[in-house]
Amino acid sequence: MARQTQDHEIVTDSATAAAPRESRAWLWSPGLGVVVLAVIGLVPLTGDQSALSLWTFIVMYCVLAQGWNLIGGFAGRAAFGNVAFFGIGAYTVALLLERNQSYWLGLVLAPVIAGLFAFLLGLPVLRLRGHYFGIATLGVAEALGQVVQSKNVGAPSGEISLTPPSLNFQVSNALFFYGFLALSLVTLLGTTWLTRSRFGYALVAIRENEQAAEALGIATYWYKVGAFVLSALPTAVAGGLFAYWQLSFDPVGEGGAFDVTISVAMILMTVLGGAGTILGPILGAIIIEYLDQYTSTAFTTIHGPLLGALIVLVTIFLPQGLVRLVQELMRAPVGVKQSYPMRVRQGVQRVTRFLASNGI
Amino acid sequence: MSHASSHPTASSAQGQALGQAQPPLLELEHVTKRFGGLPAVEDLSFSVRQGEVLGMIGPNGAGKSTAISLIGGALAPTAGTVRFQGRDITGLAPHRRAQLGIARTFQITQPFAQLDIRENVIVGALFAGHERSRAAAAQRADAVLERVGLARKARLKGEELTVADRKRLEMARALAIHPQLLLLDEVMAGLTLREVGEAVELIREINQSGVTVLVVEHVMRAITGVSDRILVLHHGRKIAEDAPDVVLSDPRVIEAYLGERYARQRAAEQARGARESERGTPELPTPVDTWKEGQA
Amino acid sequence: MAQYVVNWILLGCFYAAIGLGFSLIWGIMNIVNLAQGSLVILGAYVAYWSYSILHLNPFLGILTAMVVLFCVGYTIQYLAINRVIRAPILVTFMMTFGLALLISNLLQAFFTGGYKAINTPYSSAGITLLGARIPLLNVAVAAIAVMLTALLSFFLSRTRVGNAILAVGMDRDAARLMGVSLARTYALTFGIGAALAGAAGGMLAMTLQFSPIFTGQYTLFAFVIVALGGLGTPWAALAGGLLFALAEVFGPLIPGVGFGLDTAIAFAVLVLVLILRPNGLLGRPFYA
Repeated sequence: MARQTQDHEIVTDSATAAAPRESRAWLWSPGLGVVVLAVIGLVPLTGDQSALSLWTFIVMYCVLAQGWNLIGGFAGRAAFGNVAFFGIGAYTVALLLERNQSYWLGLVLAPVIAGLFAFLLGLPVLRLRGHYFGIATLGVAEALGQVVQSKNVGAPSGEISLTPPSLNFQVSNALFFYGFLALSLVTLLGTTWLTRSRFGYALVAIRENEQAAEALGIATYWYKVGAFVLSALPTAVAGGLFAYWQLSFDPVGEGGAFDVTISVAMILMTVLGGAGTILGPILGAIIIEYLDQYTSTAFTTIHGPLLGALIVLVTIFLPQGLVRLVQELMRAPVGVKQSYPMRVRQGVQRVTRFLASNGI
Repeated sequence: MSHASSHPTASSAQGQALGQAQPPLLELEHVTKRFGGLPAVEDLSFSVRQGEVLGMIGPNGAGKSTAISLIGGALAPTAGTVRFQGRDITGLAPHRRAQLGIARTFQITQPFAQLDIRENVIVGALFAGHERSRAAAAQRADAVLERVGLARKARLKGEELTVADRKRLEMARALAIHPQLLLLDEVMAGLTLREVGEAVELIREINQSGVTVLVVEHVMRAITGVSDRILVLHHGRKIAEDAPDVVLSDPRVIEAYLGERYARQRAAEQARGARESERGTPELPTPVDTWKEGQA
Repeated sequence: MAQYVVNWILLGCFYAAIGLGFSLIWGIMNIVNLAQGSLVILGAYVAYWSYSILHLNPFLGILTAMVVLFCVGYTIQYLAINRVIRAPILVTFMMTFGLALLISNLLQAFFTGGYKAINTPYSSAGITLLGARIPLLNVAVAAIAVMLTALLSFFLSRTRVGNAILAVGMDRDAARLMGVSLARTYALTFGIGAALAGAAGGMLAMTLQFSPIFTGQYTLFAFVIVALGGLGTPWAALAGGLLFALAEVFGPLIPGVGFGLDTAIAFAVLVLVLILRPNGLLGRPFYA
């Protein structure tokens, strides 16, 4: 009897007597992710421009959350400054466009530069213990923003304003929507492949118990650096797309390329959806960004505190994320047949106990 | 079951004879570990022969777990050298040592909580076990789980296991590496009498398949039943290293465990000639006996 | 030159006040309180109102801020943070961040982002010594900050309640077995940390301008100060504050750096120190 597993688990085996088969249970999370993205892909067909803009942002955040998931969810290291890679991507593209270079060059160069930066940054910073690593990355993101602003990178105060370059095809908003969507899909597939590989196993082992992982032959430090670099890549490409799409942006402040709120948003989205799962970041991004946009128009004044309250509630009641919550509720006990209501009831008990164990 | 090893296999019985002809598998030379000003291990030198089972005992705080961590690589010595297969590994990181064939278990079990048992073991096989593909690693994992008796529970998650099963998982993960040297850190703590017996059997069987074992234990009966030699640590220093019966009647060892007063009592009893030997296996009758889990 | 030194020392003591509460909460509960900056600004507002509405002496305003913030902090810990205290650090990180967002956005919503400050007739009083202008208000503030550090240190090591807090910080389960109530001790600790933030806020209101925009910056400052000085003792916050102020005052003098790079300088120094001395300057593994 196959059971629901966390989708990062590579193998689930079935019956007892025969040699264990590989079950297909791991497929449902990435599969559902693809379906969700496909459904979102229908949005441009409605012709509604404001909806298109909203969903473009949503899909962009999907990519950001998926990127963070690699270092924060799978490797278990809470990096707080991934927006730095986003900003690097945005400014790489912006600077190249200002010098009339090819746009495609920018999209290729952005992840390369960001990846290199992540590697060089990761080397010292990943040696730091938990809190320090998080804040060090946060500080780097803030510092980068400040440097760009005060050194007038690309424009006075770093406030970029680009003229759209001429291309031989029609540039439309839908184009960027599909650009982000494709990026998200590629990241999804890439992450899925990764989790089923040796690398993925190493990351999960490191997350669960780093000391044991080391004792079993895993070079934990290098895998962490690797995860950090990987998390930078889709984030940087998203930044590059963002630069081209918006054409004008600031380094700091709300909605800026190095805005720390973006960093926190991607973490919140991943955590809400389910860190370390494939579907989680996508789900979380949709929920949070939609809520954010909705409340900022409907409840402009309290939209900020509302987000804050939401974060507080999520950390108390949903720290493991929605996807894992569902998995936990649906979990079939080993070797015993149980009806769904019974399973859910026991799942609720398990979850309540887990939440209580987080407190005093 | 197959056992890949680059060294010739040697059963425990032949262990000592062969071992004396070959260079030792593991050597510690004047190893010292200080935490701040406090020496946990001081000037420790010993060697483990190929194919033997070396037991390490000592009162709490003697430095046994520190020694294991020093060998496994989790701690770096303040002074001294650690040699494995003749090669200096003092500066080597733990994961490199695991890849060379040194496997360890943890005194406080460290399972990968969210993964199921099978996957816990697969991790070991995939990395230090040098398996290339997940499928091959899974096969080896199944074999190992069968060996330690966890095959039926393969789908349980790490965090759902009983104490005894957690200890077995520790051993299974270590075995998945196909190690040359297996370091067991108090695997019997918290086990019932019967479980201890099973663990002893398992260790014997592992040793007979060619793995050199270094066992740290408190459970006297178990360690005397399985060791070729015993090493005694006290306050971080080695105070005895010999065959079990010799070590356990060594007055310094008795004094270390039970204090001076008791040592004097024993000496007085011995002088009166009041001594009995119960089983065939060489075990100290009185003081150390009362240590064990009170059985006839 | 003397001016820079004066600025450095006065700023350093003020920064110590910013870092004190943060250091206590982190050292005892292993919580990086991302809401610290917003608590400081909240304290500044309380002090501001006690001056403008209640017409209290601004120094009393500091006291008022401390009392109010203590209650706020105690409640926050008891109701919210206590529920996630055994969770992985990411969860507590997010929790305090959510609180920070909540508080600072509420402040912004109700009072807009306008800059405020307490201006008294004696606000610009100062003496000139050796060519350096020494603002007396800042001296008073610095003195208060040092006094608070000493008080905290005394409280922790010499009083029974303080000892309980230390015990919980060293080994919470052992402390529990000794009869210490974890929930209340944690709440007390956070309350004190918040009160110290309130004091810093009051000092801020007197000497500089404040606005909800600065909440994030002060949190980051607090972090750098504590990470620089280390967690071992309240005096480490003073050391960290002085070191941070050193970088802030003298950093822009380095050719090529210029002004406007406060945060960047701070973090450059921070990362450097962390790499060389992971426990901070005065850091010890436990808090005492």
